[in-house]
Amino acid sequence: MIPTVARVMWLALLRDRGALMLAFVLPPLMFLVFAEVFSGAGESDLEMRVAVLDTVGSPLAGRITRAIMEADGIVPVSDDSIGGPLNTTRLEALVRDGRADAAILLRAQPDGDLDADPPVVVIGDASRALAAAVVTGRVQRVLQSQFPALGVARAASLIDALAGPYTSEQQEALNLAFAELDPAALEDADGATSQDGLVEQRLLGGGREIDDGVSYYAGAVAILFLLFAAMQGAISLIDERNSGIVDRLVAGPGGYTVVVVGKGLFLTLQALAQATLIFAVAWGFYGLDWFGHFGPWLVTALLAAALAAWLGLLLASLCSTRQQAQTASAFVVLIMSAIGGSMMPRFLMPGWLRELGWFTPNAWVIESWHGIFWRGDGPAELAAGWGVLLGVALAAMLISVWLAHRLAREK
Amino acid sequence: MNQGGEEPILDADAVAFAYRDKPVLREINLELQRGRILALLGPNGAGKSTLIRCICGRLQPDAGRVLVDGDDPLTSSAARAATGLVPQQIALYPHLTVSENLAVFARLSGVGRREVNSAVARTMDVCDLATVAHRPAGRLSGGWQRRVNIGCAMSHAPRLLILDEPTVGIDPPAREEIERLLTRLSGDGLAVLMTSHDLAQIETLADTVAFLSEGRIAATGAPAGLIREFFGARRDCRVSLADPPGAELAKTLGKFGLETRDRQARHWDGLIDEHPAWHLKSRLPPDAPIVELRVRRPGLDSLWRRLYGADPEQLA
Repeated sequence: MIPTVARVMWLALLRDRGALMLAFVLPPLMFLVFAEVFSGAGESDLEMRVAVLDTVGSPLAGRITRAIMEADGIVPVSDDSIGGPLNTTRLEALVRDGRADAAILLRAQPDGDLDADPPVVVIGDASRALAAAVVTGRVQRVLQSQFPALGVARAASLIDALAGPYTSEQQEALNLAFAELDPAALEDADGATSQDGLVEQRLLGGGREIDDGVSYYAGAVAILFLLFAAMQGAISLIDERNSGIVDRLVAGPGGYTVVVVGKGLFLTLQALAQATLIFAVAWGFYGLDWFGHFGPWLVTALLAAALAAWLGLLLASLCSTRQQAQTASAFVVLIMSAIGGSMMPRFLMPGWLRELGWFTPNAWVIESWHGIFWRGDGPAELAAGWGVLLGVALAAMLISVWLAHRLAREK
Repeated sequence: MNQGGEEPILDADAVAFAYRDKPVLREINLELQRGRILALLGPNGAGKSTLIRCICGRLQPDAGRVLVDGDDPLTSSAARAATGLVPQQIALYPHLTVSENLAVFARLSGVGRREVNSAVARTMDVCDLATVAHRPAGRLSGGWQRRVNIGCAMSHAPRLLILDEPTVGIDPPAREEIERLLTRLSGDGLAVLMTSHDLAQIETLADTVAFLSEGRIAATGAPAGLIREFFGARRDCRVSLADPPGAELAKTLGKFGLETRDRQARHWDGLIDEHPAWHLKSRLPPDAPIVELRVRRPGLDSLWRRLYGADPEQLA
């Protein structure tokens, strides 16, 4: 008897394509996304888009710049993609607006002056501090493996300052050792340097003082739950179809379209309320400057809410049973959230996955909100993102309404 | 069928419809006046649902025309506003109370915001729903849900009420309540078009029946008139036996014009003229293993058997 029950379960699963997808296709897909992110996070194949600016212009600085740009996991941001040659201001702007995960500035010739600022600066965004840390580590590795003399010379200089001065014999032996390590480096180095103090990490704070991840995760969590709630709410469309309510309404003068539009309005308001709650918590508990950016926030929230509502209704319009819609919505929301940045920052993802993320609403919504609170983006900077959200929401609405109209008038 | 020269609420004229080149409706002609009840009868696939969809304006006939209250329901919202549809399912919002359901469907059927309360009150009164007004629809018994289902189609005061199997799945007392309600509504001037597989109910309830067969109207008229037309004074007889009959008994039953369709020949049916029918029992051998011997006036079920060649339960 026990195998019989198991067989019934098996047959039920086998004949429910949605459940089958949820059970056997979604898990490996989700694993693929997470594996792509986390298998790369500790290895050199985690790609970081980096802008590199050499303001020194010496042969050594040139060699260091080339070595960094050729290092594993560093993808240089080209001049073409930023529309002109780099300068210090543009370097920071690239990091702030997210076109580069970090920037590297060679600002001085590496030398042995312990009082001088570190010659290499890694500029990161505080909201993506991990990216800056990863790039800093890579720069240090490049310097250590390809320019060991710089580190050793700086260490020797430190010992000289603390315990020195060296005797002339010691200095001679030291110079000999430097020459064996990297004669070319010494030629340009104008003295001893140490590994410590070669690289400085500077995080851009976005002009506000709150915890760096809050504005990102407020948006990331909000769009995830907006989508989930809207899809669940939209399933009532299927219940009404199956219960005969639609038949009843279609026979009347109002028709079915008003029902779909009415649901769209409600789900939009529901999603707006959800987004409001999440950002109110971010404001109340973490000091997010919500009211300082309320206008752009509200526009983004309205667009995100409308988009979630109409995507939910579109999905419900395309499904014929409640079970099918539930399975499809879980599948769609989880995948979109994983690759769109709701579950982990997209800068951790490999390049192809980052690009794929732009096909999800999550990425556009997260980027818009993040830009508002982190960089203080205004309508001009947000116009492209708003346009995408509005376009997708409108397209989903038109298709849903057309499907409703088709259902009501069958021929 | 135009009675007394009055303009019909529903007028279907030579309606034809084909689905993927397969004819579903052919030359359907129907008229329904206010205050009358018309029942569409026929086995599954006969074309009832398609005809109702045409009447509701959901399907455009390939030929012919449908007018509801003088307008084409496909293009006229006035025609659709004159129609109230009661689906076979309980088409209610289960978490809303009865009065909330009535108000919602009144609004969705075009009743103005200011008129909703009076529309709900009127429907409560007409359908006698006041006692359950504030109870969630999902918690009502099947019979009450059926009544609310009808009420929600009445909330915008339609002139034509279309009911698809309004009494399916409810107990006899609740069914009688529905019958009384429909009789009352038609008495108030409402035109009622309904489908049902409960032929005994239709026989007492409907003014007119229309049997559909393969998309055509195979027979139409008042139930009593149709039965008279098809069967005259003959009686519907049935003899059920405990055991298969011997050759002699089978021969006697056959002589009366009874026929059997089951393999063991234990059930014999047929239409017999009135006089011999009353003497059937006395003509059968005294030791015949009779379980049931029934002689009755033919009903719509007899007509169904005649038209479709099978019992209603087999095809419905």
